[in-house]
Amino acid sequence: MEQLLELWRGTGIHQLELDQAVMLGIGLLLLYLAIAKGFEPLLLVPIGFGGILSNIPGVDIAVGDGVLHQFYMMGIETGVFPLLIFMGVGALTDFGPLLANPKTLFLGAAAQFGIFATLLGALALTSAGVFDFNIAEASAIGIIGGADGPTAIYVAGKLAPHLLGAIAVAAYSYMALVPLIQPPIMRLLTTKAERQIEMRQLREVSQREKIFFPLTLLLLVALMVPSAAPLLGMFCFGNLMRECGVVDRLSDTTQNALINIVTILLGLAVGSKLQAGQFLVMETLGILSLGMVAFCIGTAAGVIMAKLMNLVSKQKINPLIGAAGVSAVPMAARVASRVGLEENPHNFLLMHAMGPNVAGVIGSAVAAGILIRFAGS
Amino acid sequence: MSDLMYEGLNLALYGMGTVFLFLTLLVGATVLMSALIGLTERGDNESQQQTGLDPKILAAIGAAIYQHRKR
Repeated sequence: MEQLLELWRGTGIHQLELDQAVMLGIGLLLLYLAIAKGFEPLLLVPIGFGGILSNIPGVDIAVGDGVLHQFYMMGIETGVFPLLIFMGVGALTDFGPLLANPKTLFLGAAAQFGIFATLLGALALTSAGVFDFNIAEASAIGIIGGADGPTAIYVAGKLAPHLLGAIAVAAYSYMALVPLIQPPIMRLLTTKAERQIEMRQLREVSQREKIFFPLTLLLLVALMVPSAAPLLGMFCFGNLMRECGVVDRLSDTTQNALINIVTILLGLAVGSKLQAGQFLVMETLGILSLGMVAFCIGTAAGVIMAKLMNLVSKQKINPLIGAAGVSAVPMAARVASRVGLEENPHNFLLMHAMGPNVAGVIGSAVAAGILIRFAGS
Repeated sequence: MSDLMYEGLNLALYGMGTVFLFLTLLVGATVLMSALIGLTERGDNESQQQTGLDPKILAAIGAAIYQHRKR
């Protein structure tokens, strides 16, 4: 009889607590969103599954010697996984459209306003007594507005590891929701005539320019914001491998096999942060809503910046491409292009929007470096 | 205003300022880089044309190759 009782105590049903059951439900919801709705499946499938694994009662998968905790310690605590992903993103990025029209870098800068506005929003809520975020936590929440998954995970891992689960889930879910979040804001802030502005075809960019660009960028990072050098250094390295043309094998591995392997491990490691005790807190609701605000402000700032640039520049730019400055590559650029096509069927903005889109990646990495430098100590 | 808000405002202003300054410098650096590369590439093209062979000699070489292949 004693042994039977022991057997019963060892079952998951006996040990399952209500909050763990809720988290299992949330894990399944993430899987549903990824599989049935196509929300960033490459990340949300491993994150959702990792979240389910970490909430299985009676076994330590996400703590101590558990495998997910090992992944976490190895890759996120150290920052290695997001940096490797960033190298892969660099190898996947074509800077051609940006080089053909460098002015679009300004749009990528403006969209980072979302990060800092959200940081202030989180602190304002703290001052008002609604939440209790310190400056490091507020910075990690703000970076959701960078709309860049690896950057968000890197910063959260450094500044607020206990909030990482919620921040990663918010960042990736909102990136998937870009086609729903952005268009209303873009339409609200622009007139029909502005949305119809046609843009001149981009010039050809030579291979030499593409080789020298990552080196130029790295030099400037080293001189100006060395704290962004881990992220942008790996990014530039990946891009140089892509463009230099003599290490195609390495470039191929970086943008396919390696990034895929790391994505699996990164997703599972993030899932380890979806334990009930850490995720089912009021702060998570705050993070999810602040993250949404960050996306909206970033989008609006990009569009407004494009309108400001039109006031001083002879060569008009379509303000819709400003929204692509939030990064979320290439989804945001596609959204800009789609909204543009609705207004003017002869207007192909996709390549023009890729410029601010990759500029947004650079901008959010710079912002990440500054946040880590000043909020991390 | 609390110290926390003050600190946050400082970070936000400094951060946004740095992002803008950095990307402005990057615009400048990129334009300069493209201009320099444009110059060297044009230089390359011109020097190729300068060292280019006399059209008569080129025609002679072409004819020789043609005859060689016909054999």
